[in-house]
Amino acid sequence: MSLTRNLVTGAAITSLAVALAACGSTGSTSNGAEGPATRVDGAPEWCGTKKIELGLVDGYGGNSWRLVTTASGKAEAAKCPSVTGFKYADGQGDVQKSISDIKGLVSSGVDALVVFPDAGKAVLPALTASYKAGVVTVPYRVDPGGKAGVNYDKWIGDDFANDGVNWATWIKKNVPDGGNVLFLGGPAGNSQSIEEYEAMRKNLPDSYEFIGQKPFQPTNWDPALTQQLLTADIAKYPQIDVIVSDFGPTLVSALPLFAKSGRDIPALATTDGNSLSCFWEDSQKTSPFKMTTVTTGNDNVRLAVQYAVAKATGGKVPSADAFKGPVFEDSVSGEPNPVQCRKDLPGDTYLSAEMPGEEQAKLGD
Amino acid sequence: MVITGENDVAVQTNRSGGRVTVSRGLVTIGVATVALFVLSAALDPASVSGTSLSGMLPVAAVLAIAGLGQMLVVQQGGIDLSVAGGISLALIVVTHVPDGDSGRLVPAIGIALVFAVVAGLLNGVLIGLLGLNAIIATLGTNALLYGVNLEISGGRPRITTNLLADVAGGTTAGVPHAVVIALVTLGVVTLLVKKTVAGRRFEAIGSNRLAARTAGLRERRHHCLTYVWAQLLYCLAGILIAGITSQPTAYSGDRYLLPSIAVVVLGGTSLLGGRGFPLPTVVAAVFLQQLVQLVSVLGVSPAISPLVQAAALAVGVSLYTIRWTALVRRLTPDRAAPSGAPT
Repeated sequence: MSLTRNLVTGAAITSLAVALAACGSTGSTSNGAEGPATRVDGAPEWCGTKKIELGLVDGYGGNSWRLVTTASGKAEAAKCPSVTGFKYADGQGDVQKSISDIKGLVSSGVDALVVFPDAGKAVLPALTASYKAGVVTVPYRVDPGGKAGVNYDKWIGDDFANDGVNWATWIKKNVPDGGNVLFLGGPAGNSQSIEEYEAMRKNLPDSYEFIGQKPFQPTNWDPALTQQLLTADIAKYPQIDVIVSDFGPTLVSALPLFAKSGRDIPALATTDGNSLSCFWEDSQKTSPFKMTTVTTGNDNVRLAVQYAVAKATGGKVPSADAFKGPVFEDSVSGEPNPVQCRKDLPGDTYLSAEMPGEEQAKLGD
Repeated sequence: MVITGENDVAVQTNRSGGRVTVSRGLVTIGVATVALFVLSAALDPASVSGTSLSGMLPVAAVLAIAGLGQMLVVQQGGIDLSVAGGISLALIVVTHVPDGDSGRLVPAIGIALVFAVVAGLLNGVLIGLLGLNAIIATLGTNALLYGVNLEISGGRPRITTNLLADVAGGTTAGVPHAVVIALVTLGVVTLLVKKTVAGRRFEAIGSNRLAARTAGLRERRHHCLTYVWAQLLYCLAGILIAGITSQPTAYSGDRYLLPSIAVVVLGGTSLLGGRGFPLPTVVAAVFLQQLVQLVSVLGVSPAISPLVQAAALAVGVSLYTIRWTALVRRLTPDRAAPSGAPT
């Protein structure tokens, strides 16, 4: 039976791949190239002359944001001709798989590794092992704990507090008399949403009250769960003046609930996404609302790749140690941009990213 | 078939009680659901408001349909862990293939149905014909379904087409369409299982495979096709999620694995196979989803939600499998040692 045969072939290929990954070479012995900074002619200054292979590990690659981010990482690496190979692994939300992905890429002989450590401290031992094996190891965005120079080369964070400050500034200007703020964050306990909450709390006077769970309502950045939680919130709180979300597009299926309940959509301070911007545009006639977005930070990975490649190839190491996402859209002031909806592009493109929308649209096909 | 003495009593009562009978499962879960709604209203009236129900009912409808599929498999003494993969693949196909173009929705649904039949046949052949363990075989199929899912989508969801959002996610006169679809599905499943010859044979085979084989019933074919019917129902559940959520993730089905089994058990269908209880299964879906909604509205820690579901499953299993009267008798000293006993 052909299905069974396919299954057997698939299993054979998988085990062969696993065996090959496990039997690979053990990589270099020192982290990165030594000596003064080198540079390949015509390439960015972070691109040194030593030939290397780069690995990128994602803890969870199952949404379009990650797809764009991964492609951005790859595009950034492609700017440097010294990067002769690029390998990618997706942990699919499974901590064990993420750990074995890191170990697998290290044993396959990559010289530099950029890791999105979704599980935080749980992957620190694997990062440390990679660093000790002489691979330039650069976790980014999520804080894995540990120390630079002991557990990894450098953690390239995103300045999430900066996003919190930007949102707080906009809220004070556009909802000036105070009010109830509902903050929808990612998975429970994640450092990004906590940092954003703390920055907002510090920058908003007491006339703004955070409602719902503190520090944030955990949505796992999942549209279905967001929708479910928001119905509970709409039922529970007769007055919601501002909604803050650190993944704006997840709100698109939930926001029409306000209209269905005969209420206005609150002011929205969030991150950008084409589907959200087009929803804003479509709502202007029927149920208008104010909105600001900060860039979702797909380009955070670019700084991490620059750092890892510079260190491994012997190029000039970037001085910035965190990605600072600027404000992207403001429906009220139009500064720096008015709301940008591109109906000709899929909803899951991020126009704030360096990668053009048209290129993002082609990904995953 | 091995079932507890109390269930035997219930079955006998049903047989002697005429055509219209109320199963023990329906009474149990029905009372529990009413009690839960009363409790919800008392704890926080917002949890039973129209807004709250409009968010809860569509999800409960999806869970009910997935639960009905799981029930058919459980009736044959099996268990289907590929429910997550089946739901996820269906919703990826109906969002990714049309890619926002409502005109391509119908072909996409066709493709999703083909995948469902193939996945069901694979399960059916592995378990019904080759005799593999249901847990192992469906776990493998689940992985395979996710493989196809990621091949099609690259893990990347697309926006739901407007047509599907209107049909599956819309409301008419305040009633969510998903609820109507779930009720129709319930009617069809009940009719097919309870009122057709094939359906009666199907239940008889689930009760006692050996006896059914001796009686000349094609038990292998029924056993094999169970998994196909189940996958078709998961496929419907997946299509509904795609309509309800505007941009569903590639792993949306995972959230229905444990609940789909829990509602079957809470509805009174024995994990050992036999009689199925479609209506109590659907009521159990409303019960479980309202429980989750109540936890959300009360604003307690998110860790509580899975705990509540697990506890509901444990209570459900113990309700139907532990012989409570025997237990009480044993624990009551007076009855354990009757006064008239010789000393």
